[in-house]
Amino acid sequence: MNALLSIENLSVEFDTHGGVVHAVRDVSLAAYPGETVAVVGESGCGKTVTFQSVMGLIPMPPGRITAGEVTWRGDRMHLGRSAGRDLRGTEIGMIFQDPMSSLNPTMRIGDQIAEPLQVHRGKSRRQALSQAVSLLDQARIHAPERCAKQYPFELSGGMLQRAMIAMAIACEPAMLIADEPTTALDVTIQSDILDLLADLQQRKGMTIVLVTHDLGVVARVADRVAVMYAGQIVESGTVDDVFYRPAHPYTVGLKAALPARSIDPGRDLEPIAGTPPDLFAPPAGCGYFMRCPRAMRVCEGHPPDLVSLEAGHVSRCWLHHDYAADVSLDQA
Amino acid sequence: MARAPLSPLDFRPAERGLQVDPILRPSLSYWEDTWRRLRGNRRATLALVVVIALLTASAVGPVVWTVDPSAQDLDQVSKLPWADRRARIVDGAGAADPSLPVARATGGSDPTGMDLRIVGEATTKSVVLEWNLSDLASGYRVYRHIDAIAGGEPLGLPLAEVPIAGPGRFIDRLNLQPHRYYYAVAALDAAGEEQAASTIIPADVVRVLSEQEAIARGFAASKIFPGAEVELPFHPLGTDALGRDMLARLIHGSRVSLFIGIAAPWFYVMIGVGLGSLAGLRGGAVDQLIMRFTDFVVALPFLLFMILFKIGFGIGPGESGILPMLVALVLLSWPGTTRLVRGQVLQIREEGYLEASRLLGAPTRHLLLHHLVPNVMGVVLVTLTFAIPSAIFTEAFLSFIGMGVVPPTPSWGSMCNDGTKTMLMHPHELVLPATLISLTVLAFNVLGDGLRDALDARLRSRE
Amino acid sequence: MKRLLQGVVTIWFIATSTFVAMHNVPGNPLLDEKAVSPEIRRNLEARYGLDRPVFPDQYLTYMRNILRGDFGISFTQRNRRVNDILREHFPVSAILGILAIVFAGFGGILFGSLTAVYRNRLPDVVIMVLVVVGISVPGFVFAALAQLGIVGLNEVLGWTVLPVAGWGTLRHLIIPSLVLGLGTMAFLTRLMRSSMLDVLGADYIRTARSKGLPPTRIFFRHQLANASLPVLTVLGPAIAAITTGGFVVELIFAIPGLGRYFVEAVQQLDYTVIMGTTVFYGTFLVVMVLVVDLAYALVDPRVRLE
Repeated sequence: MNALLSIENLSVEFDTHGGVVHAVRDVSLAAYPGETVAVVGESGCGKTVTFQSVMGLIPMPPGRITAGEVTWRGDRMHLGRSAGRDLRGTEIGMIFQDPMSSLNPTMRIGDQIAEPLQVHRGKSRRQALSQAVSLLDQARIHAPERCAKQYPFELSGGMLQRAMIAMAIACEPAMLIADEPTTALDVTIQSDILDLLADLQQRKGMTIVLVTHDLGVVARVADRVAVMYAGQIVESGTVDDVFYRPAHPYTVGLKAALPARSIDPGRDLEPIAGTPPDLFAPPAGCGYFMRCPRAMRVCEGHPPDLVSLEAGHVSRCWLHHDYAADVSLDQA
Repeated sequence: MARAPLSPLDFRPAERGLQVDPILRPSLSYWEDTWRRLRGNRRATLALVVVIALLTASAVGPVVWTVDPSAQDLDQVSKLPWADRRARIVDGAGAADPSLPVARATGGSDPTGMDLRIVGEATTKSVVLEWNLSDLASGYRVYRHIDAIAGGEPLGLPLAEVPIAGPGRFIDRLNLQPHRYYYAVAALDAAGEEQAASTIIPADVVRVLSEQEAIARGFAASKIFPGAEVELPFHPLGTDALGRDMLARLIHGSRVSLFIGIAAPWFYVMIGVGLGSLAGLRGGAVDQLIMRFTDFVVALPFLLFMILFKIGFGIGPGESGILPMLVALVLLSWPGTTRLVRGQVLQIREEGYLEASRLLGAPTRHLLLHHLVPNVMGVVLVTLTFAIPSAIFTEAFLSFIGMGVVPPTPSWGSMCNDGTKTMLMHPHELVLPATLISLTVLAFNVLGDGLRDALDARLRSRE
Repeated sequence: MKRLLQGVVTIWFIATSTFVAMHNVPGNPLLDEKAVSPEIRRNLEARYGLDRPVFPDQYLTYMRNILRGDFGISFTQRNRRVNDILREHFPVSAILGILAIVFAGFGGILFGSLTAVYRNRLPDVVIMVLVVVGISVPGFVFAALAQLGIVGLNEVLGWTVLPVAGWGTLRHLIIPSLVLGLGTMAFLTRLMRSSMLDVLGADYIRTARSKGLPPTRIFFRHQLANASLPVLTVLGPAIAAITTGGFVVELIFAIPGLGRYFVEAVQQLDYTVIMGTTVFYGTFLVVMVLVVDLAYALVDPRVRLE
């Protein structure tokens, strides 16, 4: 099957007062039709920047794509200030972390949902508005007519995220990029939103790219997972690969830091010690070196390459090298 | 990049030093830090220098430049500093000596054939014109112009009509200045109408003083004799339309403008701090009362009430009108600071560190002095810096429309007002005070911006 | 409703303090006129009510007249009613003021947006330097300089491109209204810049872009609409600033507006005209602030609900 969106060797930098931030370093990723790809990592690991730069949503300058190639349905995309402009809204819909601030405070919800329909589908305002109401209904908002006439400040966060989803799917896009869609919401509402996304995906056959720091969310909805650390993908594979056969010490650390209900109630959560490396001056070797419990001498000065372990399961770690002592990661 | 081949040795566990976050910046006190940031801002530093220079100049100025700002030097009216200051002493009356040479109109054309000439020397005392009478004229009209007269243009200031009966002679004594004047004499026909052609003659007027006048101006008696040349007092920035020294007026004006500009904000900011912290700390009915009153005063149209106050106060003879303006400014301007300080106090009251300090058993006095005051002070200082230019503006505005300080007390605003009356001829009388107002306000504004940035940055970096 | 009541109280206070201030003035304009014979003076005093006690009689008469919208007769121009003066000269000031506020508003929004969009680049730097100058130079200095400039321009070109002063044609209006609006424009530009910068970085702008809207639509529908809101909130004070600024501009450009009349009346202590214009101006400003607040509530849905 051909990839819908394919990112190859993407690097993004930002010019700041403190110097150049190497936010995304040589990231490759693909999303296939109908699947859910999750991109996981802690704050500042570059997961959001990866997609926003592909979609032309990062400010340029100071942002800048220094390398890489992105294809959409096999066609090469232009990368620059107006990257992805003809895909935005029509082929790719996006929803963001904070629905409260992501909607225009002085426009009615209905008008904001109707906007892409008017622009991309050439509908009249009335047609677009009535379709906006049906979209709100699809997003499981109870009184869609009333909601369409309201302003963002009159609605709760969960309602607003539904409205955001309605807006993102207005033009029936082939892909939905959900950037931390549940982070700002209550736990119960999080689950509703995830259900809604899963349901919409089934009905419309959309590809969903889920950007999140929450492994629990990933386990629940994703087909494939990419783990990002310090601007790089350190491991990727199917959910089963990554969760049951983690191949990178960072993934192992993330799992250990996850509260688990069933496995071992007496177990303490293990935080990952230390802080991510300074992306103003990325380390010469492995970015995880300073925090890694399995660090070896080679890790300090030599950047590891991605190593293919099984079909579709890759990891960026020197432990997979033949010279490394063969120790199961889970026991580490 | 050529990599050295890896050996199994490289895959032994790494020895890492303990990871230490090197956060060892020197700890600076609140004001030290603000000061450092302000100093780092080049524009703000420059503004601070300008402000200090202005304050010093207005404080020291009257000692250095002791000229009386109200003294009129009528020999030098609306003069630029580089104007010719020489004056010749003439005897008593200063009348023209008929034996002196006669100047005739040069440049050939004398269409009327009246042979207009200047008898004797043209001085600031008098200019004597003579011309031949014509049989056709019923009289003559004499004009004076300060620019060369081109054909068809007005001849200038009509000085007099000379009847045919007397001799063709006119003596101009009207407010003569050392300048080149152009005199024109036009013949009148039988009906009293002016004839088209006229004769024009230039006259270079020389400044002269009679002996009595010279003594009255304080020149040493030994230097005074007819024909002697004396030099009139020097005015470094020229004189205004009443012959007053611009520098002295600017210095004294700066004292008025800066006094009002600094004293008024100082008072009302203090009132604002008092009322604002009272409202913020006490809360309840006191807060309600103060805030209602604040709302009320804010709603009043500011400048209109300033004018009303000024009228209502009334200004007796000999008063400068500075005090009423000060009182009015203070009475009308305190609410802004009050609101701000109250807001700050309320906000700080909610902050965790205050609660923490209280739980640690700090007495109220300590809380006030160590937490509340420093945090409010920053905002107050910025308010004060921005209040100063707006008070200077208000003073200038009121003085400009004649509602400010009372003449002859100089202030920059009233000097601008005087200056606009003569700005077409003598722009320096407007430009100098206007520049000073603008410079002062600019400096305080830039300083305020810098101060706010310095404090803001501090607030931001704390989070 | 509460705001309305507050407005009424403010206007009442303005009227009363005007009255008090006027009666506190040392020197009675009638006494200053030496040529007036005792009978005429008595006549005048009776006409202006000056022979009766100040309180309550004069005060009550005064308030009653104000409520009826009758401000009496001018002291110095005996044959003119204050109402006539207001009716005749206020429209002049109003035209000038409206032009100035339109100019300041559009200029402020335009330049403020420009500086925000070109942040830290040449247009931003140039405009912000001009803004600081605009805020720091008093209006009357601009007016005088503008007048000097016109004189110079006319002289250089040899014909009257723009009239130096006076009133009547559109050409008389251009420079005075520009000068009048300048300070406010500088202030609004600064405000607009910071609010535009806030909006440019806002999440909902990213959302709008993610919907694939064309940049012009994003700019007008999303950025400009939201960034202009703070400008509306300061429109009340801006109107007040332009009204009082009008006093000076009208004086310098010899424009027969109410502001110039007011200043002249104040200088001549023309009681009734001062009282009338003060109460009129006060009412006008209070009403304008109310109107601006109402307009703001109409535009910003968040305020409407409160």
